[in-house]
Amino acid sequence: MSTSRTSRLSNYAVLLLALTMVGGLYTAFGAPKSAATEQAPQSLSVEDGRRLYLQGCSTCHGLDLEGGAGGPSLVGVGASAVVFQVESGRMPLAFGTVQAPRKKVRYTTPEIDALAAYIQRNGGGPVLPTGSLTDGDLQEGGEMFRTNCASCHNAGGAGGALTYGKYAPSLKPASARVIYTAMQHGPESMPRFGDNQLSVEEKKAITRYVRYLMTAAQPGGNDLGRFGPVPEGLVVFLVGIGSLVVLTLWIGNRA
Amino acid sequence: MSTPLTPGTGDTGGQQPTSEPRGGQTSAEAAGSIRDRLRSPGPQSSGGDTRGSELTGADFQNTDSRQQLRDSGRDEGQHSEHHAPEPAELDQPRGNEPLDPAQARRSERKVASLFLLSVLGVVGFFGVFWFWPFTFGVEEGNPYYTPLLGLTMMIALFGIGAGAVVWAKELMVDEEAVQERHPFGSPADERTATVAAIQQGFQDSGLPRRKLLRNSLLLGAGSLAALPVPLLFTLGPYAHKERALEKTAWKKGVRLIRQNGTPVKMGDLQIGAVESVFPDVPRGTKIADSPALLIRMRPEVLTPLPGRDDWAVDGHIVYSSVCTHLGCPVKLYEQQTHNLLCPCHQSTFDAAEGALVKFGPASRPLPQLAISVDQDGYFIAQGDFNEPVGPSYWERKP
Repeated sequence: MSTSRTSRLSNYAVLLLALTMVGGLYTAFGAPKSAATEQAPQSLSVEDGRRLYLQGCSTCHGLDLEGGAGGPSLVGVGASAVVFQVESGRMPLAFGTVQAPRKKVRYTTPEIDALAAYIQRNGGGPVLPTGSLTDGDLQEGGEMFRTNCASCHNAGGAGGALTYGKYAPSLKPASARVIYTAMQHGPESMPRFGDNQLSVEEKKAITRYVRYLMTAAQPGGNDLGRFGPVPEGLVVFLVGIGSLVVLTLWIGNRA
Repeated sequence: MSTPLTPGTGDTGGQQPTSEPRGGQTSAEAAGSIRDRLRSPGPQSSGGDTRGSELTGADFQNTDSRQQLRDSGRDEGQHSEHHAPEPAELDQPRGNEPLDPAQARRSERKVASLFLLSVLGVVGFFGVFWFWPFTFGVEEGNPYYTPLLGLTMMIALFGIGAGAVVWAKELMVDEEAVQERHPFGSPADERTATVAAIQQGFQDSGLPRRKLLRNSLLLGAGSLAALPVPLLFTLGPYAHKERALEKTAWKKGVRLIRQNGTPVKMGDLQIGAVESVFPDVPRGTKIADSPALLIRMRPEVLTPLPGRDDWAVDGHIVYSSVCTHLGCPVKLYEQQTHNLLCPCHQSTFDAAEGALVKFGPASRPLPQLAISVDQDGYFIAQGDFNEPVGPSYWERKP
């Protein structure tokens, strides 16, 4: 009895050891290989971009970026628009709605850059500036944000409704590149802010401010969706006054 | 007025006090004054104050205690109510018996530990405030700073309060005390003295005799009444002589500037761009009725209203950004549909066609500002708006 139990336990131990060894061996020898495969797309070429375009985009946007029944021409939109639409998951579009929704991103960053390079070379248009997008003046960014962006996107960046089912989206999930390129090319309903209107430095300042707004620590705990004093007052009233009433009733019952 | 009020006459008219005040008393009234009834069993004799005894006898329940208070003096009467209750007359008070010493010690420790909990809360508050604060711009800073301050403060306040409640409930004698009210009216002799003093003062002032004083006082008070009349002239049509509601700060040749003060040049805006613009006058960005929105769209989509053919420049068009419904800032522009949306009540204007109302509660289109370009390439206004901006008002001509 006892020997059979011991042997069963030793069987498990051997199995565990074997699994650990296989995992360790895989990590030891497999890791460099996977690192190499991740290195490779860093140098995706414009030709790779063309291949990706023909596979994923040309059905709607045409074989020569000329556009078609399903999608607009991409001549003149530039690398900026590609980065915005693909990096936010809006393209490729799943189905036609009043406004392209944010979805799961379908391409890796090197693939997006290759696509953008292909469309930039063949169509032209605005490109992203070199260097960091978030090294602008934070305070100036806040002022510019409240002047130019807050009317639609809400002072806290929570977004808001537009007409006939369209909306200004929340800025919470937007990366720095998506924020910058949105200002640059004005997707869908959004007005565009060219470099003569908001300089590169001003756009960088706004980008930094929005990222700060979305990632900075909240001194008050939960931000309640950043909709301001209305939900805050509601929660304080319902939770605060409600628990006081319950407490008062309890004290009254005990007295 | 010349007849001084005296007790016993006047409004009571010599009415006799009711001799059987308890005939209509309910059981509740009887219970309320049971102690007093034991002390003064008979119907009370009417004193000098017939009004008082009439009221107490017929209308109020605490008949005897009121009389008793009056007899013993008001202040003493209040204190005299704090007699120890007699067990035979009142309900047996709860918790009046001496506490079990062991139980008392346990309660004492409970109260003391609640008070010490309050001290812990204060220490925690100091600790969070000094050693774990929220720091601006540091993402690793304490994200729960304010809630933690609130929580520790709550613990501090709760400890004191709960300790006090437990103290009162478990350690203190539970005694039911009755405090009767004293009558609201002043005693008759005080009322008489007051009336006499007022009349004496009126005589002493000399107003009945000194005609000059009386007439000049009437004149002064009358002119004081005329004081608000000029204020009425600031209302109604007199206020609008300057037509302030019909004019804004825009004038012929005034440049369009951004909020930071820089003028807007032809070519600064791409197609599909918008810019909030203000008149280039002193404090121009602060004047509430002058903000406007400069929009650039493709020139061929613009459909100017009749008589406004030269109000836009190469697809650049300017509208007042004060909503004609209730004055909210209309700055939500959709560059594909050319809809201008007001965030407050969803009034929607067609920016491509004279800002005519497409949807919502607004009843009039946004006023359009005629613009042109000066020799340096900057946008200038051709003049003021040709109609009042913002919401309607009574004197507005439609």
